[in-house]
Amino acid sequence: MELAQMQKSLQDYTKSLFLEGVLDSQFLQLQQLQDESNPDFVSQVVTLFFQDSDRILNDLSLSLDQQVVDFKKVDPHVHQLKGSSSSIGAQRVKNACVVFRSFCEQQNVEACHRCLQQVKQEYYLVKNRLETLFKLEQQIVASGGMIPAMELGF
Amino acid sequence: MTVEQGVQAVDQFPVGMRVLAVDDDQTCLLILETLLHRCQYHVTTTDKAQTALELLRENKNKFDLVISDVDMPDMDGFKLLELVGLEMDLPVIMLSAHSDPKYVMKGVKHGACDYLLKPVRIEELKNIWQHVVRKSKLKKMKGIVTNGESEGNSDQNGVRANRKRKDQLEEKDEEEQEQERGNDKKPRVIWTRELHNKFLAAVDHVGIKNAVPKKILDLMNVDNLTRENVASHLQKFRLALKKITNEAKQQANMAAANSHFMQMSSLKGFGSFHHSPIPLGSSQFHGGAATMRHYPSNRTFAGMFPHVSSSLPRNLHNDGGHMLQGTPFPPLENLHINSNNKAFPSFASQQSSLLVAPSMVLEGHQQSTSPSFSPHLEINKRLEDWSNNIPQSNVHSEPDALGWNMFGNSTNQTYFCRDTDFGSSSAAQADSLQMKQQHENIFSPMTVAQLLRSSSANEGLFMGQQKLENGFMASDAGSLDDIVNSMMTQEQSQAEFSEGDWVWVA
Repeated sequence: MELAQMQKSLQDYTKSLFLEGVLDSQFLQLQQLQDESNPDFVSQVVTLFFQDSDRILNDLSLSLDQQVVDFKKVDPHVHQLKGSSSSIGAQRVKNACVVFRSFCEQQNVEACHRCLQQVKQEYYLVKNRLETLFKLEQQIVASGGMIPAMELGF
Repeated sequence: MTVEQGVQAVDQFPVGMRVLAVDDDQTCLLILETLLHRCQYHVTTTDKAQTALELLRENKNKFDLVISDVDMPDMDGFKLLELVGLEMDLPVIMLSAHSDPKYVMKGVKHGACDYLLKPVRIEELKNIWQHVVRKSKLKKMKGIVTNGESEGNSDQNGVRANRKRKDQLEEKDEEEQEQERGNDKKPRVIWTRELHNKFLAAVDHVGIKNAVPKKILDLMNVDNLTRENVASHLQKFRLALKKITNEAKQQANMAAANSHFMQMSSLKGFGSFHHSPIPLGSSQFHGGAATMRHYPSNRTFAGMFPHVSSSLPRNLHNDGGHMLQGTPFPPLENLHINSNNKAFPSFASQQSSLLVAPSMVLEGHQQSTSPSFSPHLEINKRLEDWSNNIPQSNVHSEPDALGWNMFGNSTNQTYFCRDTDFGSSSAAQADSLQMKQQHENIFSPMTVAQLLRSSSANEGLFMGQQKLENGFMASDAGSLDDIVNSMMTQEQSQAEFSEGDWVWVA
């Protein structure tokens, strides 16, 4: 593949993620923080996010599967996930967490289960997309090119 | 981008500012760290609040600012905030994904300098250095107040100070040593307004019954102030208060004898205000610094009153532009009765005794009321209308004219000057003016009022409940508007008080 083409693909791909609402402007901020002194910043952060989130989602599944659900445990997890997802710009994950929390407050176990599913879904989606994104970037870099700066015109 | 940031900073200060970042979420912590680096701060991170505390305790001068997440597993962020504020007095910024205002409120109450919402943006972090500057400026100012006094003091200890010829700091140290040694050349403490206000705040805090010099000294938290200074000041304060209360009682008794006074029970809604008569022109008051002040007992009352500007004196000339500020009182519409009523002569007999409802502030200028007190403005407008309808002579019949200060704080040294004119009283006016000039806010409103209250001059002051008008003060007025409305209806329904009742609103 041509370098220019790859770069174009990357741009289009990234744009689509924003348009779909999978990512928001916070992700852009992260990208802007990446520079020569910090070349892997974004992937570093995102990797951390994946690690943390995997753990949290696991804990959440366990908590909700209990006979008696302890919402005092569930809520902080969801809260943390909300915080970290918003920090990296995983908008849909964050939104799902918000809904999740409101059901936690209501102590609605049934709804919480559904919410958890929703959150997981969004999470795997963004994880998937971001991994693809990084692959594209790596290809570009491997071909000796520069990753184009993302400019959101919308 | 970094160059740009460097240029933006006016002085070099924000660059290299040392920040301690605390967040249990690794992702957020990394992002925060990077953002802070981008702002050219020096960053230390930890994911445990306990570790953060240890780092801070190790050397509190190592950091300029702390940013902390609110929800952390090992310690509540608010707790950390409190501890840092208490122990190290560093500015702390809270960070949270909770946008709920009550969390923000909690943060502010616990002493947070700022509350940021996640996800944090770099623009917000660029500004956090302001908190450091602000805080250190406050510290400096506090130092200046006390330094100013010690500077004056060092002259008195001239010989010893000269001997050392070092900078002021060392002189100060020496004075401190001297004070501690308790030698006879104690530097004289000048009780400035600010200092006195601090004193009052401290007394207020512990309560007058509990006011011991040691406690007050601790609360005041002023350098170079000794227990002895506070003790002697406290003694003077107490004596002055005793004087006021005695006089108050005296006047109260005199006034009670007349029994032309009605109490406005609606005042209860504003926190049992009591009033003490303050003789104008009475020789008792000369030199008695404390005696002129009568203040509303309710601290919140201060929030009720617009700040009266010193343009008040104009009112003394009874140009009819009198308005009641704060709680509206019937007296205005009753005033017109007083001009020809029988109560007046009897009142005139104690012309010099003025029962002042602390909340009665006559002011001719609506403009001087602060815009934030709009309900009062509204009331004032209405009252002004009434007062305008009152024949000129009636204006003079205000029962009280008094220079007294509603707000004791140093920033609002405003005066409510009441017309003392009972028909004659140009002298009284002059006196009130004079007194106003003499006594500039020595005491804060609440403390004196509290003291007065506690001395139970209260009940004696609310005299003559006998002639309560129908429904006028039957029940606590829920709000100022209610009072005004009830007053207005009464005004309409009863054109005059036939037997010249003097409606005294306390």
